[in-house]
Amino acid sequence: MSKPIEKVMSAPEAVEKFVNDGDHLIIGNYTVGTCMELVFEIIRQGKKGFTLYSQSGILDVELLVAAGAVERLVATYVLRSGGRNGGSAVERALQDGSLQIEDYTNYNYNARLMAGMHGFSFMQVFEGIMVTDLFKKRSFMGEDKYRVIKCPYTGKDVVTVPAANPDVCIVHVQRADKFGNAQYWGAIGSVPAAALASKRIIITCEEIVDTEIIRSSPHHTIIPAFRADAVIEVPWGAHPTEVVGHYNQDKLMWGLFIMAAAGGKRLQAWMDEWVFNCQDRQAYIDHYVERFGSGRLQKLVAKPLYSAPANYGSAFHSTWDANGKDRGTGLTMEEIENLLEERGLLHD
Amino acid sequence: MTKKYTLDELLIIAVAREIHDYDNVILGIGLPTTAGALAKALHAPQANLMMEAGMIDFEPVIPPNHIADVMACKGYACATDLFTAFTMTYRGFVDICFLGVGQIDKFGNLNTTSIGDYYKPDLRLPGSGGAADFISYSKRTILTMRGGEFVEELEYFTSPGYLGGGNERDRSGLFPQGSGPTKLITQKGIFEFDPVTKEIVLASIHPRISVKDVQKDVPWELKISETLAETKPPSDAEINFIRDFAPAAAMGRALATEVGFANLIKELEAREKIQ
Repeated sequence: MSKPIEKVMSAPEAVEKFVNDGDHLIIGNYTVGTCMELVFEIIRQGKKGFTLYSQSGILDVELLVAAGAVERLVATYVLRSGGRNGGSAVERALQDGSLQIEDYTNYNYNARLMAGMHGFSFMQVFEGIMVTDLFKKRSFMGEDKYRVIKCPYTGKDVVTVPAANPDVCIVHVQRADKFGNAQYWGAIGSVPAAALASKRIIITCEEIVDTEIIRSSPHHTIIPAFRADAVIEVPWGAHPTEVVGHYNQDKLMWGLFIMAAAGGKRLQAWMDEWVFNCQDRQAYIDHYVERFGSGRLQKLVAKPLYSAPANYGSAFHSTWDANGKDRGTGLTMEEIENLLEERGLLHD
Repeated sequence: MTKKYTLDELLIIAVAREIHDYDNVILGIGLPTTAGALAKALHAPQANLMMEAGMIDFEPVIPPNHIADVMACKGYACATDLFTAFTMTYRGFVDICFLGVGQIDKFGNLNTTSIGDYYKPDLRLPGSGGAADFISYSKRTILTMRGGEFVEELEYFTSPGYLGGGNERDRSGLFPQGSGPTKLITQKGIFEFDPVTKEIVLASIHPRISVKDVQKDVPWELKISETLAETKPPSDAEINFIRDFAPAAAMGRALATEVGFANLIKELEAREKIQ
């Protein structure tokens, strides 16, 4: 008897196995619950040459760009730290020519993933974009950033964006089972689309739970097991960003990071301390507690606020009633078999 | 005699007053989130507050950190995705949205992407995010500016206002008729757009600010409304709401950061003493 495939492994193992130099890499999370441990591990392993997709790339993009891992960036929103006199790793990399960027709007970016997720070659976007520099100024995608076609039904010009099917998605969720059924709730953003558009999916979660829990709340599942490649249980895996139901954004760490991002050397020092000198998330959290105390961490822990359970019940569980009669025919199994024999419908 | 107020408070309150009861409202990052909470608490209890991360009809309990901050909400009525939040806007269901301004030209076109050569920028700003799509298809758009600038020519065209002015936006056929920026609110005044030329016009000026103060920031001869009014000062109820709900917003970014850090350092020093 075959069994479902278990995909539980460590973050180093998953990154080693499923992330390659030169990949199109997508950050699955949008603004919240960022897959920080996977970002850290990719940097620790020195993977590079990525075309990076991030819808709202603050920590994730800044760190990967500062690590020199990104050649091309597809984004809608990047960090600017410290106003006019500040800066960012993205700004510095654009200025020194080591990074190319393709700017989209939130909707345009998401539309590329929607097309990719559903297997279409393009998606229609809103025509107003044609008057803007997002449409007119193109970087490494050139003509293929947007193309205009005639709608066969209305005859109007329709702006399209090409499908995106990144090689690998890294994503953090609240819970998953060991087979890769991943459940996420809160700000949906583009999270399911980013994961499902991708060829490979690496999932970190706050907790690995029994499949029974997944099956009793399937509306929370954004990635079905058959699409998942790796599952890693990483408590605090998104810190200093927040995970609904687990912990809030850590404004202290966030603030330290944002201040560091304004200058190249400061950001490098931040990365030395928190990425390179911490071999995994446990070491990172231990170091945090050592620096700032466990009280600060505990203050971030979420108080529970449960959604009302949804009733998935039905009138009966099988086709047979309490007396062993089929509900539709009113016959027992024996009577059905006799009837089939009588009518000459059974074969040896 | 009403309470004294800060310019940040005045700005937030002016924004909040643009939200009407029963409006479908898209709130962006920063001060609009506080303005939305204020409107819902004081004058527009049935406003439907939404964010582009897909939260619809949320009840804010604390000021959201960003546009995907469900932890700042006491529940919300519908969790949809970003794609749907935008297609709802495209179909005309959004009454009002708010955008921050990096650079703005005479006709309300915006740059929030870059200063200098786009490919090798002097300053790389955050980018479009949802801005270009929202200002394209929301029925009304309120612009807010803190630290941005008026320019003759944008260095990058991120979000469409009235294009070259006049009826160019409506004529283009790319946008819903009559859409476009409705007002620009700054710490000095409230601007509207001329109904015919679509040029920006100073409509209301905050107390203790002179027209000269406003003109100073504008590199062309600013049109002044014939009915130029003084902005109605905030009420005590409005001021108290902001100070209670979002004290950091009342203080403004610089002071809030200063005070926040001082508090943090105090806390860390106290910890070292204990050890």
